[in-house]
Amino acid sequence: MTGSLLLQSLILGVLLGGLYALLAAGLTLYFGVMRVVMIAHASFLVLAAYLAWYANTELGIDPLLTLVVTVPLFFGIGVFMQRLLITRLRPATLTMMSVLLTFAVALTIEGVIGFVWGGTQRRIQLPYSSASLEIFGARIAVVKLIAFGLAALSLLALYLLMKHTRFGQALRATIQHPEAAQLVGIRTDRVAGLGFGLGLATAALGGTALSLDATIYPSLHWHWIGPLMAIIVVGGLGSIPGAAIAALVLGVGQSLLQVPLGTTWAQTIFYVALFVTLMVRPQGFFGGRLAQRF
Amino acid sequence: MAPLTRRTRGTSTVRRGRGRALTAAAAAAALVGLSACATAGGGGGGGGDDTDSPITIGISLPLTGDFSEPGKGVQRGYEAWAQIVNENGGLLGRQVELKILDDQSNADRVVADYEVLIAQDEVDLVFGPFSTRLVVPSARVAEEYGMLFVEPAGAAAEVFEQGFENLFYAAPAIAEDHYNYLAEQILAMPDGERPTTVAVASMDDPFAQGTAYGLRDKLEEGGLTIVADEVYPPNTTDFSPIAAKIADSGADVVIGGTQYQDAVNLIVALQQLNYQPQIAAFSTAPTNPEFSAAIGSRTEGILSPTGYTPDASWPSNVDFVEKYTEIHGNPPGEDEANAYTTGQVVAAAVEAVGCAEQGECQQQLIDWLRDNEVETVVGPLTWDETGKPQGAHLIQQYVDGQIEIVLPADAAEAELIFPKPAW
Repeated sequence: MTGSLLLQSLILGVLLGGLYALLAAGLTLYFGVMRVVMIAHASFLVLAAYLAWYANTELGIDPLLTLVVTVPLFFGIGVFMQRLLITRLRPATLTMMSVLLTFAVALTIEGVIGFVWGGTQRRIQLPYSSASLEIFGARIAVVKLIAFGLAALSLLALYLLMKHTRFGQALRATIQHPEAAQLVGIRTDRVAGLGFGLGLATAALGGTALSLDATIYPSLHWHWIGPLMAIIVVGGLGSIPGAAIAALVLGVGQSLLQVPLGTTWAQTIFYVALFVTLMVRPQGFFGGRLAQRF
Repeated sequence: MAPLTRRTRGTSTVRRGRGRALTAAAAAAALVGLSACATAGGGGGGGGDDTDSPITIGISLPLTGDFSEPGKGVQRGYEAWAQIVNENGGLLGRQVELKILDDQSNADRVVADYEVLIAQDEVDLVFGPFSTRLVVPSARVAEEYGMLFVEPAGAAAEVFEQGFENLFYAAPAIAEDHYNYLAEQILAMPDGERPTTVAVASMDDPFAQGTAYGLRDKLEEGGLTIVADEVYPPNTTDFSPIAAKIADSGADVVIGGTQYQDAVNLIVALQQLNYQPQIAAFSTAPTNPEFSAAIGSRTEGILSPTGYTPDASWPSNVDFVEKYTEIHGNPPGEDEANAYTTGQVVAAAVEAVGCAEQGECQQQLIDWLRDNEVETVVGPLTWDETGKPQGAHLIQQYVDGQIEIVLPADAAEAELIFPKPAW
């Protein structure tokens, strides 16, 4: 391996890890707040990517501008989904039943996308799609940099929201001890709804970031949900910094392993990491006890 | 039908199976011949001495199910062939009549269909169905009855590893040979000018790998060095690490064994790394209309193999495209052309040998095709003893934003651009 290839792979790994972190943030939030395994998260990512693509081809606007519409829209859908569907599941079987329920939602979204836009593979074509900057002989694609920046900003905003607002405190209280939170006057069901909405709003951001540099098609979400689930388990369920660190470590690991091992084997890093985590430290490597910290 | 079906799947040798089949066929022919006399003009056909009745051709196609889209394309090609032949006075002075059954993309149905067509309906000739999955079982049925079997679809190498003695693939080349013209062109370059290093990335898929490795191996034999050789699973979404390895290798030639989305993602990832090869060849994707919508104007110089183009100047193709466009309002695609080619191949053998019926005649048709070249809409075709065509695909290139044929020279619409302009 040459030095320049190592540097290049490292940079690509960090950029990929940033995107993974953004895509996984919502997932860890749902599980942290409500013990919901949200299989449909990745299909919402693809939906957001399609909306960005559609707006770009039909209206000629930059895909990032669609965030003005998609973030509030997805937030609303999230609140609505939690209030209308998730709360109806019995608490005792919530985790398992949520897998089935959100699996159905994922299939529905995939079907709707296919029905509306067809199965053809699409890609947003931007004037700067293949532009890049050079740093020490390595190349950084502009679109990947934008996606990374978007991920960093969103995660920072999410972190500040959780740490420094009343809503964030209420949400964390709900995560840590729902009964106690109720005793101090927090309306946990309402907070849970807003938490779900927040998770889905990150899907709007993540999907738009993804659309900048990926070819999209209706069933793409099945390729994403596996690695994303692995990331949140490794990072510790419910922990956003944990998800971010795990995403970066696994993204860089995948990118570096690809050089000696090739693509097929490098992809297994997610499942090896998942396996090792469940064996050695089931609560996750970076999050500490289940869903206790932000 | 039960005993017939059992026989096809039995373990009897081909020779014995064929002998018994011929006896059965002869007996059936006698019966059908008698009944044909009673019902004048009945569509059964059959009798070899009958010079006025139409020549019947039996075909089973996937008109419904998984392969229905290409299946219908093949049907349009066959029907266009029959119509054009009949307008020109038919085969051996007799009209041709197609008898098409729907096998629902099902390998069991296709076997039963060809049994019915050959043994019961007593068709004179058969044409192949669509897709390797259906071609292999139906070729076996045709072989047991000693029928010539020309097929329009079955590019996978496994078709030619079954030991068929009656099968001919009516297309220019199987996957491994798609890039032959490009390989020749590169190897013919003078020493100082010729690229020296090659990078390959291919999807883990027999067709995609077949195309890429065909070119890779020919270049390697010709003295070029393979500096990167990557395989990725079909579900790969992130191509930047693969692109990083190719870019780092600095190869002069990059070969992509690709379908669609992987080609687009890989090309953009290579562009993002500012890798500038002298030759960039990707299978399948560049001929897709979505390709330039995805990549934009930065497609200049990208190469791709293709089996057919309506613009090819082969004499019979000009005719075919004109007549087909008259009938359907749009020019034919690759499926239609391959079906039409099948008709042309069989017709050439029939005209040369002077017969078209079951029995002795079929072996004469097979023997004739072994030794002769046939002019078709995809160019002149010849076959080896396994039925593998001995040609190569046309090579297309993006020239001034349009995809044009650049190789071989006698079919070229534009000059090959070398080295490729920066993308």
